[in-house]
Amino acid sequence: MSRRLERRPAFAVTVTVVFFAWLYLPIVAVVLFSFNSVKSLATFQGFSTRWYVDFFHDSSLITSLTASLGIAAVAAAGSLILGTMLALGLERIRSRSGRAIGAVTLLPLVTPEIVTGVAALLFFTGLGMKLSLVTVTLAEITFSIAYVTVIVRGRLASMSPEVEEAARDLGCTPWQAVRQVILPTLVPALLGSGLLVFALVFDDFVLAFFTTGVDPQPLPVRIYSSIRFGVSPAINAVGTLMLAFSALLIVLALLVPRLFHRKTSTLDLIAGGERP
Amino acid sequence: MTTTDTQLTHDPATAESPAVSLRALTKVFGKETVVDDLDLDIASGEFFSLLGPSGCGKTTTLRMIAGFTDPTSGTVMVGGEDVTSTPPQKRDVNTVFQSYALFEHLDVRRNVGFGLRRKGIDRRTIDQRVGEALELVQLADRADDRPAQLSGGQRQRVALARALINRPQVLLLDEPLAALDLKLRRAMQLELKSIQREVGITFLFVTHDQDEALSMSDRIAIMNGGVIEQCGTPEHIYENPTSVFAAGFIGTSNLMPGTYGDGVVQVCPELRVPLLAGHGLTGGEQVSVAIRPEKIWLSELTPAMVQVPGTVVASTYHGATTQYLVDVAPDVTLTVLEQNLPRMSTGDRWTPGSRVQIGWLPEHTVLLR
Repeated sequence: MSRRLERRPAFAVTVTVVFFAWLYLPIVAVVLFSFNSVKSLATFQGFSTRWYVDFFHDSSLITSLTASLGIAAVAAAGSLILGTMLALGLERIRSRSGRAIGAVTLLPLVTPEIVTGVAALLFFTGLGMKLSLVTVTLAEITFSIAYVTVIVRGRLASMSPEVEEAARDLGCTPWQAVRQVILPTLVPALLGSGLLVFALVFDDFVLAFFTTGVDPQPLPVRIYSSIRFGVSPAINAVGTLMLAFSALLIVLALLVPRLFHRKTSTLDLIAGGERP
Repeated sequence: MTTTDTQLTHDPATAESPAVSLRALTKVFGKETVVDDLDLDIASGEFFSLLGPSGCGKTTTLRMIAGFTDPTSGTVMVGGEDVTSTPPQKRDVNTVFQSYALFEHLDVRRNVGFGLRRKGIDRRTIDQRVGEALELVQLADRADDRPAQLSGGQRQRVALARALINRPQVLLLDEPLAALDLKLRRAMQLELKSIQREVGITFLFVTHDQDEALSMSDRIAIMNGGVIEQCGTPEHIYENPTSVFAAGFIGTSNLMPGTYGDGVVQVCPELRVPLLAGHGLTGGEQVSVAIRPEKIWLSELTPAMVQVPGTVVASTYHGATTQYLVDVAPDVTLTVLEQNLPRMSTGDRWTPGSRVQIGWLPEHTVLLR
């Protein structure tokens, strides 16, 4: 892995620097201006935490934050349960129809989110459901199942089917084999995919925008509506907090497998990390 | 079916019910009959090997005994009890899997104790028996490691200890040594055999490796195409193969098809192999004769031998032995294996082109029909 070129090509270095600047300068600006002492988005006058204080005193923002955390937690739990069941079921269907179902479960990953959003909206209103945090949560669970299924199936595929038979051989009923051997072996994958879903759902805007009611709104929707009436630097503070929180979750998700003495996880592969 | 050349054992334990009895056991997958009307008795305490090429049905047979595969028809009995429709967790058998199938989330101690915990045995007894089992496989010092931290050979031992600790009627081993390198495999063969003697549990060992089967087993069943071609002790099968398949699969044989007539099998006009009396063949019958390469002599021939002139076409030095290919007729080349004895020097070996007289004792001609 650590084979180095003797001379760094200037072109590659330049492209890399420009790429990262393009990607991260706007975010750096948000973080920087969240600590600005004046209400300007153009000039930095001095360091201050007043916008953070503002944010924590804005009860409607806090309500939205709580709502988003709740949605993310419930969506993570719900999609973990359903996604794991789906993955376990798909492992057992080895026929052609099983493979077809497996491919269909991946559709949400490639469907434009706006399509999912509009579809969910039409579905809920068609059923006569009142849009609220419940509908947001339901939509987010549906959207997130695919992530859990992909990650859990990846782990299952690397497990020998003989492991389950070994459990049966040593005295387990089929349910006990899943409960005592399969699920514990999947724990790193479950924690990893749970954290990933939490991070994705927590700051998801499109689905939330289409499926939420008026009050309380999830945080990303709330921020969007407040921007329309002029940008308060408090939004920068919220953005910075969300950024820090999401980054923390992703780092956790990447670290989880290491805690279980495992060198790589499915997430590592997605993130382009170490390969076995 | 060419089965039941049953040399039932040297073991007096055969008086009790066999550890495993299979009756008319059949498994059909789709249109393919993988195991075909199989009958087999394995005596208690025996080291029994199912030997055959991949796809011969040996693993499917094992899986039907373990309970992972349901037979299409027939019965499986373990210790005299019909278990054909008993789920795997209630059968008194345990399996050592080819992939070892260790539980990665548990340390070695908990892996080994898993079966006893499921049976609800008290903790102190479990700890004691886990200790004993780990002693047996020489892994007492790795009890707290995770499977991921062990080498292939060590994982194999954990799998063995995890199955043996339950003291099953029968231990099923599905090519357990296949993933090990040659040297480790040889060492584990000896160790498995000595462990089996020590614990006295019936071992049913599935393998495609004839050396493994020959060196470890009390009895071997050679499987091919879902049926047992031949069953008997390693010596018996090696010395007296009853089918062309058995003769070819165990060791190497010089296999020659021919026509019987007047006490000889005519392989070709130049080569007529005389048979000893008592073969019961009638004239014109199509048969094969087989001769093991190490039974053919290149020197010190005696008048009692079947003697044939030939030409050496190739010679390969193997250290302890030298292998020659000898043309005895336009289309018949025999393989001959000669010991390199201490008194022989390089000059004593035949070189390609040499005219030789080869011979073998008539009782070493194996008749296959």
